[in-house]
Amino acid sequence: MTHQSTGRRVNRIDELAQSLPPARDLWPGIATAIEADRKAAVVDNAPRRTRWLPAAGMAAAVALVTVGIFIGRSFSPPPIVAGTNTTQGSPEMMPAALRDANYRKQRDVLLAEVDERLAAMPPADREKVASSLRTLKRSISDIEAALGRDPANALLQELLVNSCQEEMRALTAVRDSGSQET
Amino acid sequence: MTIADKGRADTVVDFDVALIERARKGDSRAFERLYRDHVGRVHGLCLRMTRDPDLAADCAQDAFIKAWKALPRFEARSSFSTWLHRIAVNTVLEKRRGPSNAEIAVEDPTEYAEPVLSFDTPVEEEELEAAIQSLPQGARDALVLCGVYGYEHSEAASMLGIAVGTCKAQLHRARGLLRDRLERGVR
Repeated sequence: MTHQSTGRRVNRIDELAQSLPPARDLWPGIATAIEADRKAAVVDNAPRRTRWLPAAGMAAAVALVTVGIFIGRSFSPPPIVAGTNTTQGSPEMMPAALRDANYRKQRDVLLAEVDERLAAMPPADREKVASSLRTLKRSISDIEAALGRDPANALLQELLVNSCQEEMRALTAVRDSGSQET
Repeated sequence: MTIADKGRADTVVDFDVALIERARKGDSRAFERLYRDHVGRVHGLCLRMTRDPDLAADCAQDAFIKAWKALPRFEARSSFSTWLHRIAVNTVLEKRRGPSNAEIAVEDPTEYAEPVLSFDTPVEEEELEAAIQSLPQGARDALVLCGVYGYEHSEAASMLGIAVGTCKAQLHRARGLLRDRLERGVR
């Protein structure tokens, strides 16, 4: 073969087949990886967000209520008569908005739904959420007790309303976390 | 290219665009069609760069998996085929850098097997392929991308992560070595 013909062959490399199919079908491996990628994306995004959303909301609510109690106590006058029969939790001491029958009914329904939701949660998550809810209830009870000692304290009344609203928001977030995960 | 050929090519491109759009929305069947249409060229590129059928299959498979994950970032104005090839070249380069494939990165030409050329075979392609496989890595990469797959120096250099001048020099070297080996192989 001459030098010229060799050169011609070198110049013909662009005529080589570009497509050289693999000996085995690679798609099953690719499909498996795609499926794993999809599952990982689902685990990474939705559940994690929905799991921590109510907890974060409740943490913020608890912080708000705690700060509120501190402010309320700081500005409220000392009890007038020691040993006065407490009116804690009595309807008369509650702000009008919280005595509303519709609010009470909605709250009872929400509490029942949250109980169902808590029962369906993994134990570790359930404990965290239940603990935050207990703290929230305790804070509201503290405000009610303070109001019992100082029923005319407008700041405590406002604080109680705000805290109850926060409680409703937290309960709603817990209830809705179930529907977001599905 | 005839008008009919051009029409067919345009149809293929349009079909690709439709499949890409569906695949971007998570349709794995559409992506499978893209895989079936492109796997031959992607695997061919990997095989010529790695010279190892098993490694080439692994690289091609990884390239398609990476492509699936990167589809949302694919810009439709560029060629899907070129984009896929870029991913495939990157995958091969990554495998070369991996510790288990350190031997692939050897650049000493003396360590390459001489091409098995035969005067009797009527199949020039086999001789050419064998001669290409015998080339040093850098020269082979440039020759495969520019010579076999028709990429411009700038495109090939960008894929390989080298300067355009280096790519030109490697291609020139590859052609010289190829000519030399084909001549030696037939003497």
